[in-house]
Formats: sequence, C-alpha cells, structure tokens
Amino acid sequence: MTSLSALELRVAPGRRRREAFVRAAFAVAAGLTVVVSAAIVLSLLGNALSFILKVDLGALWSDGWFPRRGMYDIKTIVAGTLIIAGIAMLVAAPLGIATALYLSEYAGRRTRSILKPVLELLAAIPSVVLGFFALTWISPNLIQRFTDAPLFSMASAGIAVGILVTPLVSSVAEDAMHAVPDYLREASYGLGARRRTTSVRVVVPAAVSGIVAALLLGISRAIGETMIVAIAAGATGGSLFGLNPLEPGQTMTAAMTALAIGSDQVRGAALTFESLFFVGLLLFLMTLSLNLASEAFVRRVRRLY
Amino acid sequence: MTHTTRVRPALAGILAVVVLAACSNTGSPTESSAASAGPSVAPVTGTLTISGSSTVEPITSIVAEDFKAKNAGVDYTVDGPGTGDGFALFCNGETDISDASRKIKDEEATACADKGIHYVELKIGIDGISVITSHSNDAVTCLSFLDLYALLGPESQKFAKWSDANALAGELASLDGYGDSHAPYPDAALEVTAPGEESGTYDTFVEFAITKIATAREKDAATRPDYTASGDDNVIIEGVSGSDSSLGWVGFAFADENKDSVKLLEVDGGKGCVAPTPETIASNEYPMSRPLFIYVNTDKEATNPAITAFVDYYLSDAGMAAVTEADYIALSADELAATRSAWEGR
Amino acid sequence: MTATSPSAGDLVALRLRGGGFDWRSYLLHGAMLLAMLLALGILLVLLADVAMRALPVLTQRPLDFLTSDLSSRPARAGIVQGLIGSLLLVFFVAILAIPVGVGAAVYLEEYARDTRITRFVRTNIRNLAGVPAIVYGLLGLAVFVTLLGLGKILIVGGLTLAILVLPIVVITTSEALRAVPGSIREAALGVGATRWEMVRSHVLPYAAPGILTGTILSLARAFGETAPLLMVGAVAGTFSGHGGLIEQLTGPYTALPTIVFNWAGQPQDEFRSLTAATIVVLVAVILLVNGTAIVLRNRYDRRW
Repeated sequence: MTSLSALELRVAPGRRRREAFVRAAFAVAAGLTVVVSAAIVLSLLGNALSFILKVDLGALWSDGWFPRRGMYDIKTIVAGTLIIAGIAMLVAAPLGIATALYLSEYAGRRTRSILKPVLELLAAIPSVVLGFFALTWISPNLIQRFTDAPLFSMASAGIAVGILVTPLVSSVAEDAMHAVPDYLREASYGLGARRRTTSVRVVVPAAVSGIVAALLLGISRAIGETMIVAIAAGATGGSLFGLNPLEPGQTMTAAMTALAIGSDQVRGAALTFESLFFVGLLLFLMTLSLNLASEAFVRRVRRLY
Repeated sequence: MTHTTRVRPALAGILAVVVLAACSNTGSPTESSAASAGPSVAPVTGTLTISGSSTVEPITSIVAEDFKAKNAGVDYTVDGPGTGDGFALFCNGETDISDASRKIKDEEATACADKGIHYVELKIGIDGISVITSHSNDAVTCLSFLDLYALLGPESQKFAKWSDANALAGELASLDGYGDSHAPYPDAALEVTAPGEESGTYDTFVEFAITKIATAREKDAATRPDYTASGDDNVIIEGVSGSDSSLGWVGFAFADENKDSVKLLEVDGGKGCVAPTPETIASNEYPMSRPLFIYVNTDKEATNPAITAFVDYYLSDAGMAAVTEADYIALSADELAATRSAWEGR
Repeated sequence: MTATSPSAGDLVALRLRGGGFDWRSYLLHGAMLLAMLLALGILLVLLADVAMRALPVLTQRPLDFLTSDLSSRPARAGIVQGLIGSLLLVFFVAILAIPVGVGAAVYLEEYARDTRITRFVRTNIRNLAGVPAIVYGLLGLAVFVTLLGLGKILIVGGLTLAILVLPIVVITTSEALRAVPGSIREAALGVGATRWEMVRSHVLPYAAPGILTGTILSLARAFGETAPLLMVGAVAGTFSGHGGLIEQLTGPYTALPTIVFNWAGQPQDEFRSLTAATIVVLVAVILLVNGTAIVLRNRYDRRW
C-alpha cells in the first residue's frame, strides 16, 4: 500500500486557482443583478427628481394628461391604469381561479392534457397580438355590438389585458391549491364531505394566501402592460380625466410609449422627456409594492404548512 | 452518463443561421429593377436619415425605396414622429432631410440658425385638411371657420355638446370674413378625436381656422385641450367613425381613403361652402389646402453626395410621381418649376 | 335521542343514500366548465381570426412577404428586416443573458452561504422578474442610448432585452439546480472534487435539461417583447436593409413585434392583412420554440 504524505492530499495550486477564478466570476454575475436593480432605480430617480423639481406643481393637477402642453395631470393616467387593471381582473380573477380549481381538484388526465396546454399557449401569445385582437375583434364584436362605444375604448383594452393575465393567475393559484397538503383533504373526505365541499370549504380557504398572491401578481402584470393599451385604448396624444370605460383612455404605460416614440427633444414643454421617467418611477413603485405584497402572502402559505 | 444536449450546439446553430441571413440580406429585390431602369448615372453611396411629418412620410418613403432600387449603395431610414419632432431632430443636426406638413416656425428656424444649420425649403405636394364627422351625423354638412372656432377653439373647453357652442357662435357672428355661422348646432354629444400637437396637421388646422379669430379676441392660438389626441390617423378615423356625433380633422388623403367610414364636411372659409376634392384643393378654392414640404440640410451635402442625388431624384418626374401614388395632390407645373429652381439656386 | 332533531346516525344515513338534489355542485361544475370553455374559445377565436385575416397575404405572396423589406406600399411590404432583427436580438440575449444568468444562479445555489446579503440578492432578483418590460426600456433609454451615447442601434436593443430576460434565466436555472439531489453533489465532493469541478461534472449535466428549457422559454419571451424596443428606438417607419453583419448590429433595426405594432396603426385595409400575416409568423415561431422546450422538458425529465 502506497503512503500518501499530507502534501499530496492538498489540492493542486492550478485547481485551486481555477476554483477561485470561477467562484469570483460567478459572484460577479450574481452581483450584476444587483447592479441592474440599482441602475433601474438610479436612472428613474435621476430624471424623475429633475422633473419634480422643475415642474410647476399645479400642472400635476390639471384637466388632463397633455404633456406637450405642459399639463401633467397624474390622476388621469393613474385612473386609466386602474380602470383597465380593474376590468382585466374582472376577467382574469374568475377565469383564473375557476380553471385553477378545476385543474387542482377535479381534472382527470384527459382534461388536464387539454387545459394545461391551452393555458400555456395563451401565456405564450405576445401582448401586441392581443392588442391587435382587441382592436379588430373584441371591440367590434363584444363592445360595440352592445354599447355605443367608439372603436378605441378602455373596456376592449381591459378585456384583452384580462385574457393576458388569466394564465398567470391560474398558474399561481393552482400552485397554491396544489400545495395544500393531502391530509386536509383526506380529513374532509373522511367526514363524508363531497368533492365540492372539500374544494370550496377546505382547499380554497387553506390556499387563500396563495390565491391572494396570484391576484396581486395579476394586478401588477395588468398595471405594467403596455402594448395592448397602446394599440387598443386610443388616446395616445393626451386625454382628459375620465372614468367611463367605454371611452378611449390613457394609462401610465401608454403615456410613456407615446412620449418615447416622439424624438428625444420633444417639442412643447421642455419637461416632456423627463416626465417620461417620472411616470416610469410611479409605475415601478406601484408594481414593486404589489410584488412585495404578493411575496409576503406566498411566505404565509409556506409558513402555515 | 451522457452529457445531455448543451446550449452550445444550439447557439452555434442560431449563430450560423443569423450570420447567413444577415449577410444574404445585403440587397433587397434590387437586381431586377436596377436592370430595368436602363442606363443610369454612376450609382451613389451614402446614408439618408429622414424624419418628420407622418403625412409626408408615405411620399418620402416611396421615393426612398425607388431611389435605393437604382442606387443599391444607399441606405435610408424614414420615419414620421410628427412635423414638430422632426424639426427638433433636424435643427439638432440629427437628420438630413425633414418632412413637414407646414412651414418651419420662427422659433424652429432660430434653433437651426443657432446650431449653424443651413437648409433649403422645397414644396413637393399639396394636401388638404378635411374636417370629418360620422356618417350618422345628418344635421351637419358644412362648417365655417367661425363654427370651427366655436366648437374647437381655445374658448370651447368643456363644451360637451355641440349646442354648448351656440352662445359663443352668436358672439362671433359679428366677425367678418370667416364664413357664415351654422349655429344653432345639434343637441348631441361633441366627441372630438384629432391630431395632437406633435403633428403638422394640428398646426395647419390652427393656422387656418383658429389663429385669426383667436388673435382678434386676444386668446391663445390653440385648440381646446380637452379632446382625444392621437398622432395615429387610424385612431382619428376610427374615433370619428365610431361615435354618432363626432368631430375631428385629418389630412385629406387619409379622409378620402376612408370616406366609407367618415363623412367629409364642406368648409366655408369666407367664400361659401366648398367640398374637399383634389380639384378644389389644388386650385385653393377649398379653404384648407396646405402645401407639403421637405427641408434639406445643405451643409451635409458636401460630405454626403447621396443627399444631392436623392433630392435630384425626388424632384424629377419619376420622383414626383410618388405624390399622386400616395394619394396626395401634385404641384402644378408652375409650382414644380418654382421648387426646382429653389433647389438649383440654393 | 330527541324526537325533534335528527341524530348523527340519521344524517350520515341520509347523506349516504344521496338524498336531495345537489344543485350547488352542479353550479360549481358548470362555472368551471364555462371558464375552461371560455379560455379555449378565446384562444381558438384569436388564432382563427388572425389566420383568416392573414390569408390574403399568405396565399397570394407568401415568399415575397417573407423576403421583402418594409415599404409604404402594402403590395410590396415584407418582414425580412423584422425576421433578421428579431434573430439578431435573440442571439444577443442568448450570449449575454444565459452565461450571466446561469453563473449568477450557480453562485447563489452552490456557493453562497445563506446570509442576509444572499437573501437580499434573491429577493432582488424576484422583484426584477416582476418589473414591467417598459421600465427596462426606460433603463435602456437612459443608460445605453443617452448616457453612453450609443444611439438607437441594434446592440442597444439586444442589451436591453438581455437585462429584461436575466432575472427569468436566474430563477429558472436556480429551480433546475435545486432539483438535483444532494447525494449527487456529495458523491463528487466525496472523491475530492473542488466545488466547481463538482458543479461542472455532476450538477450541471443533471440540471441541463431544466436549464435548457428555462433559457429557451426566456428567449421566446424576448422574441415577443415590444415595449422596451420601442423605448430604445427600434425603427417606426421604413429603412433599407444594411450590408454586412457589423452594419446590421450598429445601425437602425426593427423586430417582428415592432412591425406588428407599427402596421396595426396604419389606416389602409391592406395593412390589416399584413399585420395579421406578421402575427401568424410571430406566433408560429414562438409556439414552435415553446413547444420544443416543452418536448425537451418532458423527454429529459428525470425522476429522482
């Protein structure tokens, strides 16, 4: 039997150097993600602050969002965002939760093999496509047929955003329901409950944190959606404050798109370019808080089980 | 255990496809058209950056395409963020040619002068501004400048119905030279969809219908701010056609193309109601006909011969054919001669 | 047992005999079926409507459509510039986001200790994944176009999309790495491998299918993104195809989704058909890529 000295058991220096190098490289990669975050926050903050400092604060409470006229009424675009997100959740919440419940508690292999791909397909469709669909099909066939709304309306954009968000809500809600441990179901069945009672009275309440997380994520996604509203909701140059979903409207994201497609040195009030970042910061903060809240709810689920 | 499929072969595959595709797209379908162009001057090379009016964009785009077919070495970019935005870029030296659906404004000319940019203004076509409403709106067939001011001017903010403007129209009736008032207006919702301020169409409309009356009444020469503004003509057409008692304005070419969806109103500029047609616009009988321009950066010609060759082509008969192809109105023979001599004499 | 209220035994007996019509269950079942039908129906209507609108272009001039440049003349307009732009962008995303993303995930899963910093980095990445795409466009506009002065070129678009996709790559790779059982790692460490050698020879090969699926799905996502590209200056009009690869990378560019957006705003009817045809190509590519990823995932899905 050969004997080994302690020296030979050490890792060869070449290997050690390589190990150190690789570790450093991966650490840098991980660090880059933090750099990205910082860059987002800094770039938004810098220009947004410059906007706030220079703008006449009265302009932030005017009759409408007309950036080229120096009217930066925030409540117009926030209202537009919330109205469309609201309509979207009216579509996505029932559709998403119902499909999640079915997939989790009821579906057999065959239904699952149809329903899951359908949802994954819907999730894969880019938002421009849904925007085009809203303009060419949803608006004439679902909205204009029953109301006297114009072709461009927040309602048609809202429905399309709802379709966009449904697979997300469904997937997260289904994960939450799936995560409910089987012993709870078995206890329920053991007492003689039928499937409906178990699903509605046991599983859903147990999964409620996850379902809330799903809804919050859905709202966050709906708020951040850009292309559907840019194509189908209309008022890209500016709009008055309005709460009627059957009218065209502007969201924060559509306002940003309209500002950016013009040139960098847009005409009109000199602050038009910086207002873009101000709105971007608002949007970022809104979606960040929704996402953090959603994560808090998911953590609650994990803690309980 | 086998190493399962790596990303690397897939990446190599994508890279190969991409390089092949990129390298093979050096020329679009140019070979056939270049052959049929006949004996040509030595082809030029260079890059053309053109921006500005979305109204003029279709014309310039066609000319650029045809020009490139004859000069494969030229690359171009044409887009249409709006006349105003176009001038901002032009006077900052970022574009070679600026499309415009109105003349350059004084402050824009000053901005160009400040940056030392010399340019020549070339009229290349004529368009009209059409006032449009929905086909369901039977009550209105003609509007005068007076009516347009009453319904759309700076003092009309918050008028939600046509009839809200009756009082203002009454006040204005005493003014002369702006056509007859067509008040009282119908008691119907006034929904306005029209271009926003980045658009030359907006500026021209204001110049024709609003400015003089506004100045006479010492108001701001601008429209009311409360309407659905969009730089997208499609939005305007759809917005106006979609509601029963709508109102808006848009370039004649677009309105004419969509006359099945919207009703083009007659306009009275002080000489009676005139309907917009190519003839009335060309003869200026229609009160809102406007010239279309291109502004060329003459300093850049020294380093970029493509600009000279391009504008030469633009003003030739072959190039000017694009104006009518894009459904605009061609210049008269005199006007074309004037433009050509402006170009020669720059 | 009292005479008025039924006993527990009576209740169970009643339930077992199935007394009464359970309308609530039917209602719930009906509601769920309706939801599924709606989801399926929406998908079918969307695909069918788009396909029908695209038919004129796709039947009359399919090859010309795929190989022509953008044009104001609808009869001549084509999407080749968008195809090339999209391919180049996806290529950029792949070479930038995948190494960095996989590297970051490996670090977080295999090397980093569970400290406050690590948890912060993880939370940060999760939040980044939820940031709307348009904000990444703002980042690209502020940093790459304006601050670094690179202008509105394809490389900037690629960088912006790569940053957008990065958090997703990190998250999916992390999940794939976590799924590898610890015994595999211990086997390598037990024979004296360094951590990197263990990861390279034991963990990565087993996690590769999951990582591959995740990266393919994120590339498909980048392929369909529009808002960030509009922010950083993808061309909104027409432009001529540039020459070699370098000019393509450093010049104006467009992508399939931006073409869809631009054409959707054109008033002429023929552009509706062109928009639909572009959507058909876009969706076909995305479905193909997603389908491949799913097939790969199913094929290589190991059961531990």
